[in-house]
Amino acid sequence: MSVRTTLTVTKAATKAARLLGRGSGTALPGLIAQRLQPKLPAILALQLPHGIVLVTGTNGKTTTTKLILEMLEAHGEVVLSNRAGSNLRRGIISTLINAANMKGEIKATIGLFEVDEASLRLVTQELKPRAILVLNLFRDQLDRYGELDTLAKVIGEGIADTEADLYLNADDPLVASLSSYAKNVDKVTFFGIEGLPASGTSALVTVSDSDRCPNCGLSLKYSRIFYGHIGHYTCLTGDFDRPQPQIAITNVAVASLEKQEFTLSIHGKRSDMSLSLPGTYNLYNALGAAALASGLGLEAATIADSLAHTSAAFGRVEKVKVGKKTLYLLLIKNPAGFTQIVETFLRGNVGQNVMMAINDKPADGRDISWLWDVPLEAIAVDNPKIITTGIRGADMALRLKYAGIDGVLTTSMQRGLDDLIKAMPDDGTSYILPTYTAMLEIRELLGKITTLDEVWK
Amino acid sequence: MKQVIIAHLYPREMSIYGDSGNIRVLIQRLVWRGYEPLVKAVEIGKPFDFDEVDMVFGGGGQDRGQLLVGADLLRRGEALRTVAAGGVPMLLVCGLYQLFGREFTTNEGEIIPGIGIFDIVTTGSNLRMIGNIVVDSPYGRLVGFENHSGATVLGKDQAALGKVKKGYGNDPNSGREGAVSGNAIGTYLHGPILPKNPDLADYLILQAVKRKYGDTELAPLDNALELEAAKIAISRPQ
Repeated sequence: MSVRTTLTVTKAATKAARLLGRGSGTALPGLIAQRLQPKLPAILALQLPHGIVLVTGTNGKTTTTKLILEMLEAHGEVVLSNRAGSNLRRGIISTLINAANMKGEIKATIGLFEVDEASLRLVTQELKPRAILVLNLFRDQLDRYGELDTLAKVIGEGIADTEADLYLNADDPLVASLSSYAKNVDKVTFFGIEGLPASGTSALVTVSDSDRCPNCGLSLKYSRIFYGHIGHYTCLTGDFDRPQPQIAITNVAVASLEKQEFTLSIHGKRSDMSLSLPGTYNLYNALGAAALASGLGLEAATIADSLAHTSAAFGRVEKVKVGKKTLYLLLIKNPAGFTQIVETFLRGNVGQNVMMAINDKPADGRDISWLWDVPLEAIAVDNPKIITTGIRGADMALRLKYAGIDGVLTTSMQRGLDDLIKAMPDDGTSYILPTYTAMLEIRELLGKITTLDEVWK
Repeated sequence: MKQVIIAHLYPREMSIYGDSGNIRVLIQRLVWRGYEPLVKAVEIGKPFDFDEVDMVFGGGGQDRGQLLVGADLLRRGEALRTVAAGGVPMLLVCGLYQLFGREFTTNEGEIIPGIGIFDIVTTGSNLRMIGNIVVDSPYGRLVGFENHSGATVLGKDQAALGKVKKGYGNDPNSGREGAVSGNAIGTYLHGPILPKNPDLADYLILQAVKRKYGDTELAPLDNALELEAAKIAISRPQ
C-alpha cells in the first residue's frame, strides 16, 4: 500500500477510535500501519534530515530525554519526541505517524526517542538511528524482561544491527561491555564520573544487580562505588576494566537538593556546569545527555545553559506547593532508584513526613518483592513519620516494620494525602514516594487542590 | 543470650527478588524473642564450617550466578546432606531449591548436578511461570510471587510443600508446589516468602531452637500486619 493511502487509513482509524473513546491513540496508529505497510516507519524516519537518536537504560530515560530535548531545541533543532507517548515500538512508530502529514512529510529536523530496553532491538532494526545512548541496567520489573544478562544481550544485538554512534556509561560494567557489539571502536564514546566528594553513600549497602565481570562472571573489584553497581571497577583476571570516559565529571563542588555544581570534561576540555536536579543518579543523566549532545556537535555553553534550566520529568522530582507547604513527588520503580531517593532526600533528614504509595498494576510491576531490596534500615535512626498507602501499602508497612520503622497504614490514597498534609508544619516539606500508577492517582488528587505543571510522561 | 547461627548461601549470587528479606525476617523474629541471631555468608571458594549452623537459607539468582554456584555447592554437598540429616531447618528458594535437587537441565541443555537433598529433577522450559501464587500447606496458606522457567518434577516418594490454589508451582501440570524432606523446605515462592507467611518463619525458628536449646515453644508475636498484607496479596490476580 502506498505511503499516502496507509497514512490516510491509519489517521482516519485513529480518529474514529478516539471519537469512540477507545484509547488515547498513542499505540493504535503504529498497530494499524504495521499491518498495512510494514516499511512505513523506515520511510517516515528518512524524513528527518538530522536522523534519529535513541535513549535507553533502566533508570533516568525520561529525565535524560527531556534534558537532551532542551539542548537540541536551544541548538535550533525542531525535535520530534515521544514525550507524551509510550516508549515501546508501537508508541514510537505512532509518534512518527501522528507527526506526518498525508504526503508523509514531517516538519521536525531530528527524532529523539526514549526506548524501552527490551524494545531497542525492534526499534533499531526499523529506524536505523544515528546515535544510541545507554544509561544503566538495573533490575526493573524483571517480570517483563527475564534476567539482566539476557536483556543486555538483546540490547547488544540491537546495537549490532546498526551503524549508530554509541554513548555508554563507563561506570556500569554491563553497559560498558555493550561496546563489544559496536561495528568499530571509533563509534563508542564513554561517559563517567571521575571525582565525587565522599558522601554517606558507601554506608548504604545496596543490592548488587550487576557487579560481576561480563566476560568471566567473577566478582568485580571496586575501588569506588557511587551507587548500586555504578562505580570504578576492574576484573582481577585482567579480562575486563572500566573504560576511560571521554566525557567525564571531574569534580563536584556543590550537591544540594536545589542544585549541583560540577566540572564537566568533554574530550579533555573543561567547563563548569550547574544542574537543577538532585542526586548522583541525576549527575549520570546529565552526563549521558551532555555526551550525546556534544557528539551531535553542540557547544559546551548550550549544554550548560540547558542543564542549569531544565527541571525533572513529571513525577521524577516534582516540587508541588500546597499553600506554604512543599511536597516532593519522587517516582520509585526499582530498588536502585528507591535507594537513591532514600539517600538523596530522606537519609539524615530527621523526623520528616513521608508517604510511600505502592501499587502493583502492570505499569508498576506486579511483583513488589523489590521493596525488600531497599536498605530502609539506614533511615530508622532518622525517625521518619511514614504513611503507607496504595494497593500494596500493607506490604510497604511490613517492610518498614522489619526495618525498625513504624509506618502508618492508610488504605485510601485520598485519606493518606490528607493526613500527610495535615501532619506537616505550615511551611514544612514532605516527600511522597509513589510507584507509577500511584503517582498518577496522587497527581490527580493534588490537581484538585493546587496547580501542577504540564504533563511530561 | 542464646545464639542462633544462620548460614546464608551465596548472598552475592543468589539474592534476587527480595530473597534477602527472608533473612531480615528471621533475624527480627529471633531478636524480638530474645535470641541472638548471627548470619554467616557462604561464599564461592571460601571455607565454611557447617557444624555449628542452626539454620540454612538460600535464594534465587540469574542463570549465570546459578552456574557458578552449582560447582561450589557440589563440593559442599556431603556437609549439607549431613546437616540436613541432623534435622537443621533449611529454606531454599527457586534457584537453590533446584540445586538442592538431583539435577537441573538448563534451556541450553547443560546439566547442572545438584546435591540431592530433595528427590527432584528440574528442566528449563520456554514457559515463564510468573505471577502471584497461593499454596495450601501444612504451614498455613502461603502467598508469594513466582518467576521461573524451570519445571520441577518430584520423585515418587518426595513430599511436596503444598497444593497450588493459584499460579503454577513446581510445573504447569502437577498442581503441586515445592518439596519437603525432613526439616528442609524447598519452594518457588519469592515475595519474599517469609514476611507474609509468619507461621512458616516461626516453624523454621522453632525447629532451630528446639534442636539447639530444647525450647518447645516461641513467645507469641503480633502478626496483624503480616496477615493483613498476606490477605491483600492473596486477593490479587495471578
